[in-house]
Amino acid sequence: MIGKRDPAQVAIDDARALLQALMIHGWREIHVRTGDTKIFIAQENGAANPMRNGSASTLVGVSSPAAANEQVIVVTAPHVATLESVVAVGTRLAVGESIATLRVLDDLHPLAATVAGTVVRVDAAQGQLLDYKAAILAIAPDA
Amino acid sequence: MAIKRLFIANRGEIALRIVRAAQALNIETVVAISDADRDSAAARLADRAVVLGPASASKSYLDPKLVVHAAQASGCDGLHPGYGFLSERAVLPRLCKEHGIAFVGPEADVIDALGDKLRARAMASAAGVPLVPGSECIASAGDARREGDRIGYPVLLKASAGGGGRGMVIAHNGDDAEAGFHRASAEAVAAFGDGTLFMERFVPQARHVEVQLMGDGKGKVIHFGERDCSVQRRYQKLIEEAPCAAMPDHLRAQLHQSAVDLAASVNYRNAGTAEFLYDVQRQEFYFIEVNARIQVEHPVSEMISGFDLVQEQIRIAGGADLSLSQDQVVLSGHAIECRINAEDSTRDFLPSPGRISRWKPPGGEGIRLDSHMSEGAMIPPFYDSMVGKLIVHAPTRGEAIARLAAAIDDFVVQGVPTTLPLHRAIIDHPDFVANRIHTRWLEQVFLPELAARQQ
Repeated sequence: MIGKRDPAQVAIDDARALLQALMIHGWREIHVRTGDTKIFIAQENGAANPMRNGSASTLVGVSSPAAANEQVIVVTAPHVATLESVVAVGTRLAVGESIATLRVLDDLHPLAATVAGTVVRVDAAQGQLLDYKAAILAIAPDA
Repeated sequence: MAIKRLFIANRGEIALRIVRAAQALNIETVVAISDADRDSAAARLADRAVVLGPASASKSYLDPKLVVHAAQASGCDGLHPGYGFLSERAVLPRLCKEHGIAFVGPEADVIDALGDKLRARAMASAAGVPLVPGSECIASAGDARREGDRIGYPVLLKASAGGGGRGMVIAHNGDDAEAGFHRASAEAVAAFGDGTLFMERFVPQARHVEVQLMGDGKGKVIHFGERDCSVQRRYQKLIEEAPCAAMPDHLRAQLHQSAVDLAASVNYRNAGTAEFLYDVQRQEFYFIEVNARIQVEHPVSEMISGFDLVQEQIRIAGGADLSLSQDQVVLSGHAIECRINAEDSTRDFLPSPGRISRWKPPGGEGIRLDSHMSEGAMIPPFYDSMVGKLIVHAPTRGEAIARLAAAIDDFVVQGVPTTLPLHRAIIDHPDFVANRIHTRWLEQVFLPELAARQQ
């Protein structure tokens, strides 16, 4: 059963989805009104914000994926795949080094580190079927 | 051999439909979802949901390797492709077969053969199924006149080497045909470098009629009657009915037989639909193509037969024989389905995704709703805009129309515009009530009238 969700979180999810759609379809602007929630998103060449002009604007903040003071980078699955192998906690990595191998049917997809650092946490087990965006491991980047 | 765990490689209302059918058969369900469908009705109802990729269909539902990997790695021994997406791409059943998963649908080779229009027409011809009267190669004005006389006017002259409506001319008699040949051929040479034309009978007011088929893959095929899908806009169906009340019984019987003969000639396995063009004036039907999958409008055939086609699909994929013989299929009454889209029909059918703030569907005898929507649900902007199908069944067509009108009037949807008011207006129209419609009726008659009224 789905419980009632926080309306602010719902609005944030909606805004994210609309932004993605705008980018995929190449729209210039989207203006959506659902109940009490209004969302306006525009490209730089789109129309002016119709919700401006002195009306009390309800600012809907879009949270960033990782807060500014987070110390780790979480590596997630780029698509559904089985985790064939993953490096151990404590492994030191240079940029471009292999951190895991994913398998889709008979194809192997190596995952490479995009930062230099140390593996501080492994979130998935070998042989596990990973959802898209499932956490694989966390890297503490070098200072 | 019977399927124990079914993977559903689709989304929206059909994914939910398939999950329900599998659950009725006591089969476990795993549904594929994209990042945008994590909260979907099918995902919540299924035993498990696997997230394939981001919202973009090409990176999720349309990637056959991701789909089959998810099915295999989650322990599924069957896969249902739904409609659209990969349902008629032979690569999917091929990959399924390679990885030990039973595909709920026809064999890959049959999908390939039927997907090739020319091959499908050759197969139909070989099975004695009537095709649109036509002529392959018109190379001179004399050819045009001769073939036009033979086929019967009006005829359409088309460029063999091209498409897109270029080099297409309608001719109403022999003089037209000769003059038309020169015009069309010159246009074809200019556009495609090849002036050869072919000719087809032109049916100005055709109806789209199709037959629901089910085969066991061993030569036995049964039908569940025909459907009339003539209310269309830009070749998309809006309203479907079963049976086709505009076709006389003897012709309907011939139609069913033609469809069954064609499917049997290829040992067709699982569900499929043979589509035909029906020339009401000439009282003739012509084969168009076979859709080798379950279709959006399958519920109207289920309502008049009382039979669950999707459950039968799953059973056949698990190796079972057909559950019924032809004489056990009893069709009665009349069913009508409306495809409800989140579109604003007053603004050129602009897709209008958003969140549904109120959702109160109608209920009662002879009313069925196939929908994944609920209050608070979001219609994501990445896929088609269908939010559900409203289907009614009643003893006669007139009663079905009345029941549908009442059902639409009872249906409360707020938060996004839908095509429900449009459907309400369509079924009210005297042409629809008198069943005088054809495939161009909505665009040529109804919508212009509606636009004029709105001004």
